[in-house]
Amino acid sequence: MNRPTSLLLGALLLAGGCASAHAASYIDQRRVDAVQGDVAAGAAKATVCVACHGPNGNAIVPAFPRLAGQRAEYLAGELHKFKRGTRPESPMTALAMPLTDEDIRNLAVYFAAQTHTPSTLPPPDSQTLARGEALYRQGDPARGAPPCQGCHGADATGPEAGAEHYRAWPSLRGQNGDYLVQRLQNYRDGKLKDSSNDFVMHGVAQTLDEPSMRALASYLSSLPPASR
Amino acid sequence: MNLLSASSRSSFPPRRALAAACAGVAAMACSSLAFADSGIGVDLWRGNKLDPTAGTRSETPDENGTTWLKPGQNRSPTGNLYLGPFTPPQPEQYGDWRGYGTLEVGVLMVPTGDQRNALWNRYADWKEGPILGLLDYTLERASDGTYANFRGSRISDDDEYYQATFGRAGAFKVQAFVRDMPNIVSGNAKPVWNGVGSNRLTLPSGLTPGGSTPAQIAAASAAAPERTLSVTREKQGLSYSMFLTPEWTAYANVTDEQRRGARPYGGSFFFPGLGGSMETVKPIDDSTINVNGGFRYAGAAWRMDFSYSGSFYRDANTRYTFESPFVMASPVPGALSAPVYQGQMSTEPDNDYHNLQATLTRKLPSLNGEVSLSAAAGRMQQDDTLIAPIDCRGVFGVGFGDLQLGPQNPLLGDCSQWNTPAALSRRSAKMRIDTSMVDARMVLNPTSQWTLRGNVKYDRQDYRTGDYLLYNPLTGQYGYIAENGSQPSIIPGEGFPVGRFTEVGNMRIRNIPLDIQTVDANLGADWKFDDKNTLGVTFGYNRYEPTHRERSEINDSSVKLTWINRSLDALTLRVNYTYLKQSGDRYDYDPYEEFVSASLPGYTPPAGGTPVITTSAMRKYDMSSFDQNKLDVMATLALRDDMTVSASARLDRKSYDARIGRQDYDTGSATLQWEWQPAATTNLSAFLGYDRSRLKMSNVNDALENGAGTDPSLGGPTYPYDAQWWLRDKQRNYYAGALFDHRIGRVRVDAGWNYTYSRGTDSYRYAGPDALAYPTTVPPGPGSGAFSPMVYRVNSFNLGVTIPIVERVSLRVFDYYERGRVDDWHYLGFDQSRYIGGMLYTDGGPQSYSNNVVGMLVNVKL
Repeated sequence: MNRPTSLLLGALLLAGGCASAHAASYIDQRRVDAVQGDVAAGAAKATVCVACHGPNGNAIVPAFPRLAGQRAEYLAGELHKFKRGTRPESPMTALAMPLTDEDIRNLAVYFAAQTHTPSTLPPPDSQTLARGEALYRQGDPARGAPPCQGCHGADATGPEAGAEHYRAWPSLRGQNGDYLVQRLQNYRDGKLKDSSNDFVMHGVAQTLDEPSMRALASYLSSLPPASR
Repeated sequence: MNLLSASSRSSFPPRRALAAACAGVAAMACSSLAFADSGIGVDLWRGNKLDPTAGTRSETPDENGTTWLKPGQNRSPTGNLYLGPFTPPQPEQYGDWRGYGTLEVGVLMVPTGDQRNALWNRYADWKEGPILGLLDYTLERASDGTYANFRGSRISDDDEYYQATFGRAGAFKVQAFVRDMPNIVSGNAKPVWNGVGSNRLTLPSGLTPGGSTPAQIAAASAAAPERTLSVTREKQGLSYSMFLTPEWTAYANVTDEQRRGARPYGGSFFFPGLGGSMETVKPIDDSTINVNGGFRYAGAAWRMDFSYSGSFYRDANTRYTFESPFVMASPVPGALSAPVYQGQMSTEPDNDYHNLQATLTRKLPSLNGEVSLSAAAGRMQQDDTLIAPIDCRGVFGVGFGDLQLGPQNPLLGDCSQWNTPAALSRRSAKMRIDTSMVDARMVLNPTSQWTLRGNVKYDRQDYRTGDYLLYNPLTGQYGYIAENGSQPSIIPGEGFPVGRFTEVGNMRIRNIPLDIQTVDANLGADWKFDDKNTLGVTFGYNRYEPTHRERSEINDSSVKLTWINRSLDALTLRVNYTYLKQSGDRYDYDPYEEFVSASLPGYTPPAGGTPVITTSAMRKYDMSSFDQNKLDVMATLALRDDMTVSASARLDRKSYDARIGRQDYDTGSATLQWEWQPAATTNLSAFLGYDRSRLKMSNVNDALENGAGTDPSLGGPTYPYDAQWWLRDKQRNYYAGALFDHRIGRVRVDAGWNYTYSRGTDSYRYAGPDALAYPTTVPPGPGSGAFSPMVYRVNSFNLGVTIPIVERVSLRVFDYYERGRVDDWHYLGFDQSRYIGGMLYTDGGPQSYSNNVVGMLVNVKL
């Protein structure tokens, strides 16, 4: 290589070295450490939460999610997303903003440790249940919808624990139906796009029409809590 | 396929066998330097040397990785890391359509170097100046899946490609392309002829056809300007496929490739000193049209494919002619040589090929497998107008006392009786080969632990030509005139056609149909006896039944054992061992009697008997019995999630049952590769490779100068042990390389190094001087020696930096350096003269070189 070429390439390398690193614009949930926290401290911090999410995180209002028994890594991830201000406008944004990382971990392990109680809502009709179960177990190949159990587990409590990229995948079993429908609609409409898991669900939700979303949510909300 | 050449018979005069064999093996040693122009795989991928990846090099790896579902890169079933995907495009919306693409334009600068070197210019034409590195643009309409794409690159007039694709997902696809590919076959040619590139080569003033002195030939060669000989391939293609139903697809493809240019070629007027050898220039002007079409069915239980393929080769030239400057001079006292000087070479004949094939495959759900049956029938045919046996004027052959035709000069021929198609027994080739094939296959997985495999294939080639008799109805003679009439003009009677009542028994008078029937059967099973281990065994049996060969039946029996082990989580180990034994029926060292003049009705054997053509100890390597042992070991180790080391070793030993012919052929190789992808935007790899081959062969000269020996046995008077010689050919190749690709912030740096070292050596020993072409040049008794090694080394480095300028626009600056070093004793002294030892060469041979290219390309994401 002649001298001018070497100098040119050297200068370009230096320019590259000085360039700033490209910051991640989303939360990567493909490598998630197990969340450790103080349950008692979380309980103390959770007093404000029960107004919407019910006693011990068992929300009675169908539009609010049940938090009891949910995976701590999923809960921590959601609180971080509210804190980042990237979720749709919600009271949660303001509530999560002052939380420290420690607060988030404590709240996550507290709700994960609570017992999930059965829903008191009347069960949906059998046809809706069957459609929802079929979607969950087989998906809808004609529309390109994958079976939900592939990621959320055969019993809808989430995948078997172990691999780090499974930790933030939530349990759906016994979750409130209206909340699930709203969540799927938000995924479909691109309102939830702040994490690798959001990107997965954005693609999935686009394959579901409204009746499918409702059938799926009805089926999942009808499932009794898993024995612990 | 050249049918005419397929029926030709190789018969080196024994005296020249050692020299020819050594030269041939040495040429193989440097096969990468040979002036091949194969163009293998040109339809599969359109790229160029500047960017063999055809555009993917300019893509940016997606730092988000392969999938949102899990971290890291995916691995292949054998444990190797897949490359990560590229950053998705940022399309522009145009109504229903969205469009995206890449435009890369810039300049190449070649500041110094050997730019005309043939090795440097192999399949590339890099010149200083502006280039279109890449234009790649895609339009998509999501509403119905319609898409269109254009991709092109232009380095020079002879180094460019353009491709356009249009289709709709699930409906149809049509694609068209044009591509020009250069190939410089000699960068330092010095042909002495006028008319290079045409089908008529004439000597310049200063040289007299058939009458030039060595000094005049040397002077003309020295004065000839050095020039480049090249062959350019221009290819166009069109393909179409469409879904008739969700299960049925119709498809059709047609391509047309034209080759234009010229390349060094042979041209012989017998031995140097008596006549002379020369390297002429062959014109290349041909086209090949390939067509392929059919219907495919893919259903739940059945798959079917019904197809036609055809190939049509046309050469604009039937032959080319050249003038020889050499004086004919017979060494036989009293013999006067005819002054022949006009040579001719036939070009490849026009060829038509048709093939119909049907394949049916049925799934067997109960056994978790499938069976398939294929049947094909094809035809290859050539019917070129045949060229006259010779292109001389006056007389050819030798006369005694004068060169007047008449009974006093029986070994003198009248050119006018041989330089016309009327001298042929028929006017056109009328060559035809019919092929047929039936192949039945089965794969069953009756349990999750067992896989059973089997196939039986029947293949047949039938020559439907009938006899072509080398017979001149004008003279009533049989056979052919050797070497443009020069051989019979120097050695009385050699290569001179014979009459019916002849004593010459070894003159070829008829074509040899090489019909062959093959049956190939394999039966195997794989047993996955636990989660970590799979064992396999395959028994193979092949039976070849050629006609008019040394054996009428050849049997191959083989057993192959395989073991796949995954006992360690990160390690995949594969081991294969194969034993193959080839045998056959009785070996007939001379199955060609019906094709030579000894089969003529009036043939009268000489007093001592008919001379033999070779020793009965000869075993041709494809007909010989042999034992073969092959061992392959491959290991892939995932050191970490993002790091892989793989290694392989291979040994292949063939031991032939031959005292004369190929005796041993051993090959082996080893590779080691390391790859690390710590992030989607970082990729490092390195590899080492080594392979070797060792070939051992033996031959024996006939000890009788006039070739009249009648005893074929090795050790007999015709082929005495003292005339036996042995050759060992050794080849060693070493490879190494490293790649680095990393993004620092928004700047991307890529670098690479590749190294190839090839070394070939040939050593020989002989039992006595009679084994050599020139026995008087060595003392009595056995001897040995070796040719100089042939060495080929290439080092190449590349370093590139891609800097973003504004959004969607970046600048790539790169440097590519390549250095080649060639040591080839075949071309020693060619820098001084191309006229050496009575042989006139055109090509100066492969040359060492070094070149440095700097390029600047602006990349715009459209």
